Amino acid sequence: MKKYKKIIISLFIPFLSFTLTVESDPFESTYKPLPPENILIQDANIYDGDGNEFSETDVLIQDGKIAAIGKDLPVTNEFKIIDAAGKWVTPGIIDIHSHMGVYPAPGVRTSSDGNEATSPVTADVWAEHSIWVQDPQYALALKGGVTTFHILPGSANLIGGRGVTVKNLQRNTINSMKFPNAPHSLKMACGENPKRVYGNRNQAPSTRMGNAAGYRKAWIRAVAYLSKQQEYEAKSEDAKQMGYKPTRDLELETLAGVLSGEITVQNHCYRADEMATMINIANEFGYKISAFHHGVEAYKIADLLAENNICGALWADWWGFKHEAYDMVQANIAIVDQALNGKGCAIVHSDDAIGIQHLNQEASKALAAGLRAGFDISKARAMKWITINPAKAAGIDDVTGSIKVGKHADVVIWSMNPFSVYALVEKVFIDGATAYDKDTNFQPASDFDVGIISPNKNRIEE
Amino acid sequence: MYFKNIKLALFIFFIGLVHSESVLIKNATIYDGKNNDPFVGNVLIEGDKISRISQSNLRGDIVIDATGKIVTPGIIATDSELGIVEIGALSVTRDDSSDIYKIGFSIYDAFNPHSVLIPWNRSNGITSSLTLPQNTDSPIGGLGSFFVLDSNLDITGSSDIVMIGRVGGSSSSSRAATYSIIEDLLEFAISLEQGDMKSNADISEAIDDSSIAGSMDLHPRDVKALYKLVNNNLPLIMKANRASDLLKLIELKEKYNLNLIIMGAQEAGLVAERIAKSNIPLIINPINNIPGSFDELASNINLAGKLEKQGITLMFNAPRDHNYHLIRQGAGVAVAHGMSYAGAMKALTLSPVEVFGLGDRGHLAQGKIADLIIWDADPLEPSSMPEKVFINGEDIDLTTRMSRLTERYTKNKDQPNGYRD
Repeated sequence: MKKYKKIIISLFIPFLSFTLTVESDPFESTYKPLPPENILIQDANIYDGDGNEFSETDVLIQDGKIAAIGKDLPVTNEFKIIDAAGKWVTPGIIDIHSHMGVYPAPGVRTSSDGNEATSPVTADVWAEHSIWVQDPQYALALKGGVTTFHILPGSANLIGGRGVTVKNLQRNTINSMKFPNAPHSLKMACGENPKRVYGNRNQAPSTRMGNAAGYRKAWIRAVAYLSKQQEYEAKSEDAKQMGYKPTRDLELETLAGVLSGEITVQNHCYRADEMATMINIANEFGYKISAFHHGVEAYKIADLLAENNICGALWADWWGFKHEAYDMVQANIAIVDQALNGKGCAIVHSDDAIGIQHLNQEASKALAAGLRAGFDISKARAMKWITINPAKAAGIDDVTGSIKVGKHADVVIWSMNPFSVYALVEKVFIDGATAYDKDTNFQPASDFDVGIISPNKNRIEE
Repeated sequence: MYFKNIKLALFIFFIGLVHSESVLIKNATIYDGKNNDPFVGNVLIEGDKISRISQSNLRGDIVIDATGKIVTPGIIATDSELGIVEIGALSVTRDDSSDIYKIGFSIYDAFNPHSVLIPWNRSNGITSSLTLPQNTDSPIGGLGSFFVLDSNLDITGSSDIVMIGRVGGSSSSSRAATYSIIEDLLEFAISLEQGDMKSNADISEAIDDSSIAGSMDLHPRDVKALYKLVNNNLPLIMKANRASDLLKLIELKEKYNLNLIIMGAQEAGLVAERIAKSNIPLIINPINNIPGSFDELASNINLAGKLEKQGITLMFNAPRDHNYHLIRQGAGVAVAHGMSYAGAMKALTLSPVEVFGLGDRGHLAQGKIADLIIWDADPLEPSSMPEKVFINGEDIDLTTRMSRLTERYTKNKDQPNGYRD
């Protein structure tokens, strides 16, 4: 009897868990901000992230949101006043391309979890299941003003898996860091990496045409899967009872999520001709590419990107480490930005735990190159490259990425104009709560940082 | 025929004339490369030299008004692969490693003055480079050379002026064994007498008699480099980061009287006084605050300022990946986090010259070689660029492959790209 009971349970449990996973997200965000404060930032110079610059202007933060922005906002006792005269205020910086957590520091084999390089299509894997929440690099990025970042799988595979957006508040589960309601992304990769990784194993893809065939074969399966799911969902309740629900497939579920528009596509791609091919493939199967990442040759097809409403998530100056990264121009970001008379969407991304701390400096280099190339671009517009534009590519621009009434109070106060190398981040607010304060030395330390050099100190304590 | 010769003579005459014309840079804000405060003054370039530098009026054939502009010595990349690597992931374009030589591997003959990296880095302010190979299989070994980035096929530079090495965590063997190997190699080199070095046959005999040289399969070329290291004060750049390794290297320097420079040195802040006392110059990347390995846990953005306060001679590097000029950005970050401006400027210019003996460069003073930059704004702001670059007194064309490609895609776009300029 006992034995019999066990069998029933073991049959029942998978069934139960199946229905549960379909009904709800098993990895739902449980993010809660730090206790929000009511803050009035006074007399600041502001780049609002939407392309505007204001001087001697106040920002009111209430209940975790931007409550007001304007000159001489009324002062009440309920608000902590911060005098920001002579200082600069920007939205929290957003990085659309980070591998923190999946390639944490120290960079050792045991926690290098960013590339499931065992098959060229691994749409079934999720970066958030690799992320090490104690990565000491998050706190460093916070001191660079980064309040939100998107963590992607690596580029070994044609289709590398799901990326996830997180708020830069170190917690001890990934669910509690996940940006609420932010869409997942799908990481895809063109060019040298997949063909090298698999070509070296004498397996497909070993060429760029093999890459293209690999994506298309995967999308053909995804289209079939999606229509089977939709067919089932269209049935009457009775018919659903009668028939079998199609079995879930993790890989195709992700790809179908892209086809139905719930998951963004973040596409690692360097060469202009390959980006154009990827646009053809997206059109063939009816999905949208949110951003091309790295895109060292994006400037060669800037108009095409703008026509297709695709952002270019780019470096200011990285080049030459691979053949496909040889044709760098420093005006790349500006040319993408200015395509079709300013309709382009340019993003400065890092892909690097040092770069993410200085995205303001990277934007400054890209802006300077754009001005030298003859474009008329304001600093306020260049600020979009590291705030609202990455928010747009990540699908979170309705709630963050600019200082606008009603949005999350993700705000940075800088010691001086952030386009200068000498500008330091003084305060960072995430959802209206202080996450970093230089003056009071209020800063997070991950568990990794604790007592690791000297037992009674944190890693970078003075 | 006669007419043609006259033309040729005139041509030669004009070349000579052009070359001998002096250039006066007027009213510049001058950082001379030493720890000094800047001053507003005039620089006169005659031939390849700075003939005068003065706050009083000077005359020159060509006058450049640099009012409000900063003038500095040309910046020296102290840890680069300039001229020996074109594309990182393409081994046929890499000349930075050898599977035969371990200690005496020289990259000098591989230097390619036509590398596109050279105009690019030059247009960003790098005028010369200490080009280093990759680490070899030996913990000390591999020779770096100095190159002036003038793009002339006839190379201006000095070969094999520095040896590199490394010590630290590795997946294959204990660092204690690494120290033993280094000491065994140094002891072997010390044991060699001039007679052992007369011919390759003599050296081969010495190798056969040495357990360490034999087991490491050294060639005469390797032994010659080792001999230079212990007898000729050849600078040795050791890459190391962990505080305990830095102290061990200080000990080796004292014991073997090495001309030691440490590169990386991420945990130098923990032992700064000891490094200062032992007078060891450091090459650091001031922007790197990542605890990238278990040897670099104390990595900190304020390292440069902290070391400067101890009086340590500093130089800067950037990742060995094409943009060596980013040491300017690193220097700017160092200043933002506590280093002095003049100190950062010296780290980019005069310090490498003094540490590695690079001759009359890196310093704006009478009689020095005229490697200098006129900047469009503060050179430590990464957004700034040179307006003019002089190398060996020559006003260098700042066109790069990148500037050409930029023009291709911002002008005359109605033509297919293949038919644009």
